[in-house]
Amino acid sequence: MASAVPPPRRSEVLSLFRSLLRTAREFADYNIREYTKRRTIDAFRQNRDLSDPSAVSAAFSDGKSQLEVARRQAIVYSLYAPKVKSVMEIKH
Amino acid sequence: MASALKAAALRHIRVPVSPTLPLNGSRLNLCGTVRSMSSHGDDHLTKEEVIDRVIDVLKSFPKVDSTKVTPEVHFHKDLGLDSLDTVEIVMALEEEFKLEIPDKEADKIDSCSLAIEYIYNHPMAG
Repeated sequence: MASAVPPPRRSEVLSLFRSLLRTAREFADYNIREYTKRRTIDAFRQNRDLSDPSAVSAAFSDGKSQLEVARRQAIVYSLYAPKVKSVMEIKH
Repeated sequence: MASALKAAALRHIRVPVSPTLPLNGSRLNLCGTVRSMSSHGDDHLTKEEVIDRVIDVLKSFPKVDSTKVTPEVHFHKDLGLDSLDTVEIVMALEEEFKLEIPDKEADKIDSCSLAIEYIYNHPMAG
């Protein structure tokens, strides 16, 4: 039986949130960048009112693994960055 | 002979330094022409520009009621935003002013006036 992992502190959760949003900015592709931002915000907001410490720890470690995935993908995608910018990025 | 011609030709081509430049002593003439082309003076943003752009970022945030936005507004107390929203707003401000705000500083920004203060005092705000 695994020992109980202490639930993350508030500052750690906000730090994870910020790291995910920062990693989202590194994507060159508009769609993936916007998706990462949207998904992070939605997921954190959805789990905002969790009270059970094991559920909070599970959500936090899930978020951390997603952060690692996003970081790796940002590097891989940058090798194949689209040459043409998305139409949504053209400023008027 | 050729060098004399060259000197004469160069004398015509060389742009004479304008005597109206307000510099003391002819020794500084060269520095004068270089200086007048740089725009170091207006490098930094004015306070009004910072305030306007911060207010615009706040108003374009979907959860914010734009009628309540003033330069002294507090994110949590006046606009009813939670800490996740505050992080989002600080990220939007980073993108607007092309800054990288370290986490320790970003955590302290919880009102419009603090944001304006921080950005205005940041040397790299653009």
